[in-house]
Amino acid sequence: MTKKLLEIQNLVVKFGGVTALNEVNLHVNEGEIAALIGPNGAGKTTVFNIVTGYYKPVSGDVLVDGNSVLGLRPYLIARMGLGRTFQNIRLFGDMTALENVATAADALNKSGLLSALFGLGRSRRDEKRSMETAQSLLEFIGLDHRAHQMAKNLPYGDQRRLEIARALALNPKVLLLDEPAAGFNPQEKVELGDLILKIRDKGYAVLLIEHDMSLVMKISDRISVLDFGQKIAEGTPSEIQKNQRVIDAYLGVAEDAS
Amino acid sequence: MKAKAFNLRDIFGDWWESATPIQRGITRTVVIATFYALPFLNNPVIDTPETSFKSVLFYPLVLFALMAVGLNVVVGKSGILDLGYVAFFAIGAYTHAVMSARTSLNFWEILPFAMGFAMLAGLILGLPALRLRGDYLAIITLGFGEIIRIIAINTEAIGGAAGITDIPGPTPIFGFEFSVMDPRPYYWLTLTLLILVIWGVLRLSHRKPGRAWEAIREDEDVAEFMGVATLKYKLWAFIIGGAVGGLAGAIYASKIRSIQPELFTLNLSIMILACVVFGGMGNIWGVILGAVLLGYIPEKLRFLSDYRIIFFGLLMVVMMNIRPNGLMPRKKREKFQEKIS
Amino acid sequence: MDFSILVTDFWSLTIDGIVVGAIVALVSLGYTLVYGVLRLINFAHSEIFMIGTMTCYLVIQQFGFTGYEEPLPLWKFASLFLLFGLTAAMVSGVAAVILEIVAYRRLRVLGASRLSSLISAIGASFFLVEVFQKLSGAKNLDFPRMISKEPIFTFSSAYISADKILVIVGAGIVFYILNRIINHTKLGLGIRAVSQDEKTSILMGVNVNRIISYTFLLGGALAGVGSAFYMVFYETTKANVGFLIGISAFTAAVLGGIGNVRGALVGSFALGLFQQYTSAVLGYNWKDVVTFVILVFVLLVKPTGLFGESLQKARV
Repeated sequence: MTKKLLEIQNLVVKFGGVTALNEVNLHVNEGEIAALIGPNGAGKTTVFNIVTGYYKPVSGDVLVDGNSVLGLRPYLIARMGLGRTFQNIRLFGDMTALENVATAADALNKSGLLSALFGLGRSRRDEKRSMETAQSLLEFIGLDHRAHQMAKNLPYGDQRRLEIARALALNPKVLLLDEPAAGFNPQEKVELGDLILKIRDKGYAVLLIEHDMSLVMKISDRISVLDFGQKIAEGTPSEIQKNQRVIDAYLGVAEDAS
Repeated sequence: MKAKAFNLRDIFGDWWESATPIQRGITRTVVIATFYALPFLNNPVIDTPETSFKSVLFYPLVLFALMAVGLNVVVGKSGILDLGYVAFFAIGAYTHAVMSARTSLNFWEILPFAMGFAMLAGLILGLPALRLRGDYLAIITLGFGEIIRIIAINTEAIGGAAGITDIPGPTPIFGFEFSVMDPRPYYWLTLTLLILVIWGVLRLSHRKPGRAWEAIREDEDVAEFMGVATLKYKLWAFIIGGAVGGLAGAIYASKIRSIQPELFTLNLSIMILACVVFGGMGNIWGVILGAVLLGYIPEKLRFLSDYRIIFFGLLMVVMMNIRPNGLMPRKKREKFQEKIS
Repeated sequence: MDFSILVTDFWSLTIDGIVVGAIVALVSLGYTLVYGVLRLINFAHSEIFMIGTMTCYLVIQQFGFTGYEEPLPLWKFASLFLLFGLTAAMVSGVAAVILEIVAYRRLRVLGASRLSSLISAIGASFFLVEVFQKLSGAKNLDFPRMISKEPIFTFSSAYISADKILVIVGAGIVFYILNRIINHTKLGLGIRAVSQDEKTSILMGVNVNRIISYTFLLGGALAGVGSAFYMVFYETTKANVGFLIGISAFTAAVLGGIGNVRGALVGSFALGLFQQYTSAVLGYNWKDVVTFVILVFVLLVKPTGLFGESLQKARV
């Protein structure tokens, strides 16, 4: 049986009186690219904000590699193996590309402030590890030549890729990508698709939120569809393409009727 | 290639990076020696009227610089607006004043306590307060600075409003006598501690804690998502800032020999904040420059000194509007590599 | 500590608490209104109040009025009070508008960080305090006694004097007018719209800069009115008078739920009463410490206050 690295069970989320997610079940298997699609406002980003600990659900559970992460602070959840990117890029603008990635890599180091201050061996080893991790990730996404430039001065596409590298520095069990192709031209989308496949081949599971259907259909192993906070379908790309409820949701028919 | 604009910082930076360790060592030694030699300088151009230059070197210059470096860890590095920095200074000063009267410990033995109590105060205030958003935190720290003073006024056990007098100075060390008349040993002492603090802060800045602080300043939520224990690092920033403030307070009390609550008003917090803002938040050298300029100018231009808070307040508004990153912004030197393909 | 005073002096403390609460409320409203439209604490608001007290003092000085010799005829007191009260409201209101333009506007347009706006506001606050410190010679400026402080009638342990009635009734009238402005005028509609959602308001054709200016004007004017009551009740001011009342007013706004007008009122009266009761027991010196402790406590336990406006709005 394949291992579920991320599992969301019966998740209910409310903001004020509005139900944002209603009894949603999702999971991401080891070694797969799972996609989460749905019209705007369907609650996709809310899923990310719940699993990374930013919001608390009304009920339901979130398991990372079998352990519940509910109620944990976001930084602990991140260290347990969830790395994410953001719909609207949120890099540390005044830090260099290398430092951006190293900051996330640091999270996995045990040595703290005092050992850094007194230059203990452990801190030196950790520093070296962070820098090497960061450097190799920049090479992996093809940004090593920009390592010492400020994140805010990078071109748009590089910023998007840098966010992915930063999330990977957490050595996540599941990488959460929130619309990574937004603002990309077709050529860049193809390259991004290749990069995500490469990431999966390195052994990371991926949960992808994306609006670009050709990209989603091309690289996803399994797709879940959210509409108005409900999961309305789940299946392989070809199953989803044929699913009447999904087609209706995207055309805005289903909800008018109900 | 784009032509580079003439920029002292880049010229020096390039030179520094290409310098051999020996060249760097010599430069460091010369610069540090120059600072130690400043009290021997006797030059009418830089001399200050009314207060002797030697004494201005101690207060405000080097003491402001020390406090500004401490506050910079909090405000500049981590982006936490602390308006009650004077509280830590006061705690340090009172620790020395009270402990030297009640115990047989001397200044040097009390110093760790002064820092320790200030750190403890930072922890006690920070643990709840640092969970709050920036502007709330600013008000809380503002209130804290003022409350510490009101508590001091109302607590007879530490002298009440009259304060504490006859505080002993430091006992002689390495042949240096600390007398009321000669401010120079105090200057050298503070300068030495300042150098140690700069060393420590720079060390932290270039490693994991420095990156964590900057990430928190840039975007606290994202820092947390990237595994940074934000509360812990904010607390550390607060505690380190507090320790430096406490240190400065103890030295100050040992020099002026009598303290009253009225010495520790908000104005001092704001002056130090102005130094940080003016010099360049987040850049340790900028902050020191800010402290030196803002300490020195009112002493030199005596007519300004009565109006210094007016001037400092105005400066903060103007700086935020036209040059929010200060005289020497914290800008990192970017390195561009051509992509080899 | 003597708790029996709470019983014996209950009504006296309560009446004073309401009077203090009314004055605090007038300042507190400025914090809350500005917070509503800018999502920013106007740090220099306490100085706007201080400017109001200074205005009252200067106006009265123009009349060469030195103090209470025999009770002023009511009409004379009323016209004097209206004169300096309205002048203070006007001056404070205009000062608040200027403050917004000088200290906030450019930063807001540039989209500067919250930290920059805060520092700018604090700079402005210190600048104002120090300017008035110099102008006043750092002295307490005493206001002449204009209205009898002799009790008109007693109510259990409470002595009700004319100045207390003036503050309570006067503040009540101001709150009523404010309520009309916010709920029944175009300006009030604009303020509420911008408070709800600035971006949509712009799209809907609301001139946000103008609304913000008017909000500062309104908040400043309320603080000015508050300063007139303050002067009649306390009869003294100084350059840093704003600091402690500012902390009280801010605490009250947070207690009620910052951004919420009704909350600011309830919070102010609650705080005024609490301050009176606790300082009766602990001693007046500890009043401000108590206020601060309340502030910290509220922020930690229920940062959204009693009428929890959703100020911890999601930022992701």
